Amino acid sequence: MNWFRFVVAAEIRKILAFRADFWITFVGQTAIQVLIARALWGSIFKSTGNEVMEGYTLETMTLYFLIVPIGSKMLAGENIGFLSREIYEGTFSKYLLYPISFFQYKTLTYLTHSFFYGFQLMLVYLSYLLIQFQMITLNDLIHLGTGLSIFFIAAWVYCMLAFCIEMISLWADNIWSLMVMTRFLFFFFGGAFIPVQFFPEWLQKNLTYTPFPYLLNLPARTVMGKTTPDEIMWGLTVLVVWGGIFALMGRLVWSRGQFRYSGVGI
Amino acid sequence: MKRYLRLYLCFLRFSFSKAMEFRVDFSFRIIMDIFYYAVNIAVFQVLFLHTDLIAGWTLEQMMIFVSSYLLIDAINMTVFSTNMWWLPMYINRGELDYYLIRPVSPLFFLSLKEFSANSFVNLIIALIFFIYTLVSYSGSFTPLQLLMFIALVLNGALLYFCIQMLMVIPTFWTQSGKGFMDLFYTLGLAIERPDRIFKGWLRVLFTMILPFALIASFPARIFLEGFDWKTFTHLVIVTISTWSVMLFCWRLGLKNYSSASS
Repeated sequence: MNWFRFVVAAEIRKILAFRADFWITFVGQTAIQVLIARALWGSIFKSTGNEVMEGYTLETMTLYFLIVPIGSKMLAGENIGFLSREIYEGTFSKYLLYPISFFQYKTLTYLTHSFFYGFQLMLVYLSYLLIQFQMITLNDLIHLGTGLSIFFIAAWVYCMLAFCIEMISLWADNIWSLMVMTRFLFFFFGGAFIPVQFFPEWLQKNLTYTPFPYLLNLPARTVMGKTTPDEIMWGLTVLVVWGGIFALMGRLVWSRGQFRYSGVGI
Repeated sequence: MKRYLRLYLCFLRFSFSKAMEFRVDFSFRIIMDIFYYAVNIAVFQVLFLHTDLIAGWTLEQMMIFVSSYLLIDAINMTVFSTNMWWLPMYINRGELDYYLIRPVSPLFFLSLKEFSANSFVNLIIALIFFIYTLVSYSGSFTPLQLLMFIALVLNGALLYFCIQMLMVIPTFWTQSGKGFMDLFYTLGLAIERPDRIFKGWLRVLFTMILPFALIASFPARIFLEGFDWKTFTHLVIVTISTWSVMLFCWRLGLKNYSSASS
């Protein structure tokens, strides 16, 4: 188990290798997404004349769009191509020689990225409360902790899904676009662009048994303290079941696909 | 000029034959862009379930705006995007030398070399959607208005390219384009929103300093709300200024290029 520590430390060093990039991405992206979302929703709230829409005020909507972009990064963990690029270039061979499971190694590097973004989310949320001159209560910390834990489980589910799709590159030339497509699908139905509560009733009902609403919307609302224990339990159950299905599928794809790996890059 | 045109035709030929080598990827990318279009349309369809107007536009008008930014995005993806993807890597690896010694403008070569054949299919899809929103529009418009709209949409594509270049150029100093490119894609969200939602300093930022909101929103405004000299002049001045700043920064960046890989 000692190698876990080294892998995590190496991954964090890699994330922080280009510090200018890192800070531009962190501060810039977060601020821009919140400002644009606030401008849009401000205009919608104004044109409808409502102060509350589907349980959101303009303030809580702003907070939602502060949490969700960082939560999306937690979910997406490592960049697209974390496996397929290596299969494509032939550098994947090294994992076959390491004395550790490549599944464990890759899951750990993926979740290290998620953990790091989770840390960013914690910083941003606490800063938001301070900027709003709100006292940070024990309840806020419990909601934050629970929300981050759900985000982390959601990141694991997404990682398992990413494994399945990335390994398709053992058959196809390049699956980058497939991953981007998956991201569009999961982020849209997950509530990254519009909170799930704004979807038509029939769509919300159909999404209940899918992992979509629990990947972003549920943890974000949990951080905001807007979920009930029943909702959290149901969401976690669905996530774990889907995570298990994706993990099994990943194993199956690997067991079939490993014989196709030639070790020669294109 | 003729030489450049001939060169561009060569780029096209190479790009198409390269794209045909990876057929699965070719089809995946077409589907991916269709997903992107569907998500963008769906976002506004869902929003309009809760309101009748956004920034003074109805759903029908908003769809014209959406189709124009999808078309601009498709032009960018087809003509410039792949080149913008590679440029930071060339700078970082010191591979720019090969392009600097050639007897053609490096800016022309590096920004147009890769024509994305698969995105070309999507450009056609975006164009069909653009035409569809115009044909189904219940308001009236003259042929002159339509021509002006098309010209301004093309101007939007040029402006988009200039801003993207301005985000790539810092790589000459930072050695990695990732941060700025990520920032560019995030800022790109402003293209997908009507400019009227931005107020105060955010409006100044998105209509003057980083004129993302001008790319599709101003052309749509001129088309939907009638010609307005103030909006038009603003658009022309900002386009010329952004183009000039981009050229200046590009030359400055080339002077700073050390040729060593990082």
